[in-house]
Amino acid sequence: MGIQSVAVFSEADRESLHVLLADEAVCVGAPPATESYLVIDRIIAAAQSTGAEAVHPGYGFLAENAKFAQACAEAGLVFIGPPAAAIRSMGDKVAARQVAVRMNVPVVPGADQPIGDDAEAARIASTVGYPIMIKAALGGGGKGMRLVRAPGELAGALRAARSEAGAAFGDASVYIERYIEEPRHIEIQVLGDAHGAMVHLGERECSIQRRHQKLIEESPSPFLDADLRHRMGDAACRIGTAAGYVNAGTVEFLVDRDRHFYFLEMNTRLQVEHPVTELVMGRDLVKQQLRIAAGQKLDFTQDDVVPRGWAIECRINAEDPYAGFIPSPGHIISLRPASGPWVRDDSGVYSGYTIPRFYDTLMSKLIVWGTDREAAIARMTRALAEYKVVGVQTTIPILEHIMRDPDFVAGRLSTHFLDHMMDVDRPEAAGRRRNVALIAAALAAYDRAGRPAPSPTAASQSAWRQAMRPGRGAR
Amino acid sequence: MKFEAEIGGETVGIEVTGGEDGRYRVAIGPDVTDVDARQAAEGIWSLVIGTVSHVVDVSERDGISIVEVDGETYRIRVEEETRYIIRTRGGKAPTGGQVLKAPMPGKVVLVEVTVGQAVKPGDGLIVLEAMKMENEFKATVTGTVKEIRVRAGQAVNPGDPLVVIE
Repeated sequence: MGIQSVAVFSEADRESLHVLLADEAVCVGAPPATESYLVIDRIIAAAQSTGAEAVHPGYGFLAENAKFAQACAEAGLVFIGPPAAAIRSMGDKVAARQVAVRMNVPVVPGADQPIGDDAEAARIASTVGYPIMIKAALGGGGKGMRLVRAPGELAGALRAARSEAGAAFGDASVYIERYIEEPRHIEIQVLGDAHGAMVHLGERECSIQRRHQKLIEESPSPFLDADLRHRMGDAACRIGTAAGYVNAGTVEFLVDRDRHFYFLEMNTRLQVEHPVTELVMGRDLVKQQLRIAAGQKLDFTQDDVVPRGWAIECRINAEDPYAGFIPSPGHIISLRPASGPWVRDDSGVYSGYTIPRFYDTLMSKLIVWGTDREAAIARMTRALAEYKVVGVQTTIPILEHIMRDPDFVAGRLSTHFLDHMMDVDRPEAAGRRRNVALIAAALAAYDRAGRPAPSPTAASQSAWRQAMRPGRGAR
Repeated sequence: MKFEAEIGGETVGIEVTGGEDGRYRVAIGPDVTDVDARQAAEGIWSLVIGTVSHVVDVSERDGISIVEVDGETYRIRVEEETRYIIRTRGGKAPTGGQVLKAPMPGKVVLVEVTVGQAVKPGDGLIVLEAMKMENEFKATVTGTVKEIRVRAGQAVNPGDPLVVIE
């Protein structure tokens, strides 16, 4: 679109890819987010000092903060997202539930007020009925969320949820709702312009999660038929319109075994997993966001929205999937991403980059498109096998397991999918390539011991590039 | 050169010879394999065994090789034979205690035990915050807390001892 960009970065992010790729870059403070990315005045000052006209808040930090949207408006900056009032009514999940109830959209049973002390929490929990879920009133991304199966676990879970919510969103308010067993997490993408038009761009199936954070997303969902898609899309648009919503937003639902859907929350921002919608709809959502923020009308209607084929996204995180997904920050020694037709790598890292320990573990999103679900799974399987990261542990091995899992292939998904899988899949259990692994480990040790072994050279590295880009040669 | 490799609770003897032009002979116990091996980039090995081509990631962490190949992950401790013998024969008998070490850089949010407290497997010991997530680390043995080396709010590095249980 020919728009110049300004990146903001903390002292820990000087080497981040967004800083390298932006036209200008401004340091906004120390590594902890509370001293940089969450300081509204510094972000506004960065925009003003560089003469920026608009601010895209991304999908973390201040993206769902009404005060920030308000501050942008007061500073004469266009906030690329909904009006502050819509963030307030939808971004606060308690208020959002009240809107859904008003619009006759079903909600999960629970308290629609933030809870006070532990005694009140215990009282509400026993009214709602265990198991319950504790959630941060502000924010998302799984931070500040805890499942509680029995009263004895409540106090510890509350403490952890409040502490995480406070650190991540600057507000420790939490609320309680009933936990639905074996649920699917399915969300609807909506786009609204400033002239009253509201359309939905179908659903994303996000049931494959670990610790309530999404790991794999796809569009469409193997669980929805045309009728349910229409009803959920319609409910999402009703909620968006009632909230006076403008720009891109996502309405999240839980869908139970019997295809009942319940409104969960609305994310008043672009989602991490938006590329799967882009690929099946053939529309650039960020471009749409910019057009809407510039006051333009949507250039298509609901009837023009026709999905094509199937898209899957896998999140490549710096985590150890075999040690409870604990973070694995550190130096990336080598990196070779996947490529090829209908393979998209939305990455924030590169070979030689050190992943800081202060922020999210997400390194890259690998997205593929196929004519149908089977083709998309086959393409993702191939792309994951090509993707090599050395130096930090990543989720790639577990993603490869999931692509081969009979339940996943058959589309039998729920948010508990990964718990079941982790019970049976441990490292060294499969063993098909045990001898190859032993040979490689021994050769690496032999190499370290100073025996003649080929080191990586400029020539061998360019061989990779030639293999990946036939006909273009090494650069 | 002879190595001992620990994999999945088993110890395997491995001998590697050659290396000229990337051609090695690797004996795992009685099984001998000729391997054409190149490092495509640091830690990324291309192995051609017969006509079969594998790309294998090998990274090191705390003396353990983490090996990823065709969607499988292995943790292998490879040591030169003499070093292995010295370590396993010279070492003290295992005490049955636990030294909880920080598995990642982070900040201590909460210390859940006190010195002298009795613990059993599954009891929470420490909560560490890293990359915006809180992770609870638990006792794996029955015993008594002998030492607590950290306090809440303290930053820790991977490998730092946090809690010692006897």
